Amino acid sequence: MNTGQLSWSRMAADTFAVLARWLLGAVFLYLGLNKALHPVEFLKLVRQYDLVQSWLLLNSIAAILPWFEIFCGLLLLAGVAVRGTAVMLIVMLVPFTVLVFRRALAIQSALAIPFCAVKFDCGCGTGEVFICRKLLENFFLILFSVWLLAGYGRKLCVRHTLMSCIAKTSLIKEGRSNGSI
Amino acid sequence: MLEALLVAAAGIVLAFGANLVSPRGLALTRNYFPAGISRPVPAARDVANTNAPAPSSAQLLAARLKEQGLQTVDGRQAAQLFHDPRFQQGGIEFIDARDEQQYRQGHIPGACEFDPYYPEKQLATVLPICQAAEQIVVYCNGGDCDDSESAAITLRDVGIANRKLFVYTGGLPEWITNGLPVEIGGRNSGNLRTTNK
Repeated sequence: MNTGQLSWSRMAADTFAVLARWLLGAVFLYLGLNKALHPVEFLKLVRQYDLVQSWLLLNSIAAILPWFEIFCGLLLLAGVAVRGTAVMLIVMLVPFTVLVFRRALAIQSALAIPFCAVKFDCGCGTGEVFICRKLLENFFLILFSVWLLAGYGRKLCVRHTLMSCIAKTSLIKEGRSNGSI
Repeated sequence: MLEALLVAAAGIVLAFGANLVSPRGLALTRNYFPAGISRPVPAARDVANTNAPAPSSAQLLAARLKEQGLQTVDGRQAAQLFHDPRFQQGGIEFIDARDEQQYRQGHIPGACEFDPYYPEKQLATVLPICQAAEQIVVYCNGGDCDDSESAAITLRDVGIANRKLFVYTGGLPEWITNGLPVEIGGRNSGNLRTTNK
């Protein structure tokens, strides 16, 4: 009975993790495409954050980020290098969330409105959004990424862990070379 | 961690490549903001530290344009220029600095389309028109929009005299609010619409 319950809950967790991986992949693919199709609009939005003073750097950020998101989305959908991709998503999502939060605070202080009433285009690929909704969305995206980083969502993966494959290949090569000696 | 670095490296290389082959890709070496990259949040003012009233966004914009050496016109002056007989003879030109989609949805009648982010698309058409004109009024969406400023600076950089260039700070929203006609579709399409005040 206990074993049956355990296997059922394990199966449910696995299924949910796979769905979370697909959802995360689809979200990043969608957001990346929205930006990649309107690069100048995205460039203008990145500029609003006043992050860099060099236009070469600004152009590079606006040019790379959408396609990088598409790349990560595709990796997650296919199930390739899932944990490495999850790390990259966290590396992107956490600073983005901080930046969006700071900008929202600035808008709130100027307009003297409640924080959750702040609505602006954060350059996230979804147009104008209410800040509280955006922060909640990002919280869940980070949560899913951490979950995938913990090793869940291995089912239906083309190559969940890239490094084990590389390590195996080098071990085989090493074995062959030892054998030939 | 090594896997993450591998994903990062592959992603960056592919992203650069995709931007390069994409027809909409950004030109990395082009300065898209000749008026300056730095653009602080208009909201970021500390009211508590000053007794003086905060400048309005229109005042800030006028000051910024003046800093760039650009002249401005308000709604009344823009309307006067539009009704000036020289406008029909090509002595006065209106330049729409918004993107193609916005331009086709409605622009000041007779205005030329000139997207400063893709100047190569319309420069060959716009340049002779601007060279022949005595006064050029550049506009975009008013408010925080600084595309008209970028367009004016781009035109100045290709040799149009600064004295001819005027930025209409209110832009198309103010034009519509003032009940002036808007042309739908291409330039001189004749499809005019007027929104009553």
